[in-house]
Amino acid sequence: MLSLKNTEADPPPLRKPRKVVDGSLLVLLGFTLAGGLAVLWTSGLDRTIEIVAETFRFIALLTPKIAAGIFIAATLPMLLPRDRVGRLIGRESGLRGLVVAAACGAALPGGPMMTFPLAAGLTLAGADLGAMIAFISGWSLLGLNRTLIWEFSFLPSDLVWTRYLLSLPAPVLLGLAARAVMQRRVA
Amino acid sequence: MNILIGTVLIGAAALWLWSYLPNSQWRHASYRASLDTFLFTAPRVLVALLGAGFFAELLPEDQVRRLLGAEAGITAVFLAIALGPLTPGGAFVSFAIGAAALKAGAAPVAAIAYVTSWSLFSTTKIFAYELSFMGRQATLVRILVSLPVPFAVAGLAYLL
Repeated sequence: MLSLKNTEADPPPLRKPRKVVDGSLLVLLGFTLAGGLAVLWTSGLDRTIEIVAETFRFIALLTPKIAAGIFIAATLPMLLPRDRVGRLIGRESGLRGLVVAAACGAALPGGPMMTFPLAAGLTLAGADLGAMIAFISGWSLLGLNRTLIWEFSFLPSDLVWTRYLLSLPAPVLLGLAARAVMQRRVA
Repeated sequence: MNILIGTVLIGAAALWLWSYLPNSQWRHASYRASLDTFLFTAPRVLVALLGAGFFAELLPEDQVRRLLGAEAGITAVFLAIALGPLTPGGAFVSFAIGAAALKAGAAPVAAIAYVTSWSLFSTTKIFAYELSFMGRQATLVRILVSLPVPFAVAGLAYLL
């Protein structure tokens, strides 16, 4: 783990506020409304209300996790020393940075509520897109927690091993591809 | 149970981070930033999870299993890859469907393609979390470079 900045003397960094309502939220809202209407049409009002209630129960269950995840996402970039993060997993970090990022992703135990805030925080702290894609892919393809707890309980182990070993190089390759794409955009 | 363990882990990480905030000025700035992030994230997570709930209801689960199970070969693999992103819910759901398809006679290659495709392109993850936190450009680049992965993994698994 990185050592954190000695911040006693410095003031906290400022943040730019983001727009809450934008295109992606409206598209999402459209899909959800369409889905809700379709359920209302096919399964009736009772079932629709039941699904909404189920979702809110699930959200209530997730709330402590979401709150902690949001706090981490907002606070981590304030505390992480930008130059060190940049050297470790920034644009110039090379293959080693991608391997480090992919391994961190695979070792990360949480769900998406942990991973994406962390990736966003690391981006603000100086990680490049290639490393973040290696990190996210490492988590989604090679996450140890999910494979050990869920995948091996449901699927035959030879199939799990085949999938896991074949996916092993993917996060680093995807990070390299993302860096190539971004470089072409800049050039 | 899994949610509880995750909550404890992520809560401990948050407390550990909080302990590094040196003084009240920093703590205040951290709370402000957290509130900003909350206002941005909360509506997205709420709307996306509601949407996931609705689409789970609409998806004909029996038919999904039958199609994946009945068809072997390349069509099943393509179908499996297409179905991956549409699977709502968490790892639990996708592994359960994969296992059910296998039992119904699906080729293992199709199951591998399905799980890989779900891992990379689950629409729940993308819409509820990735777009909210990473933004449109980063998400698009990741999806574009990842597109060949399920095909490559399935192809290699087929050769093995």
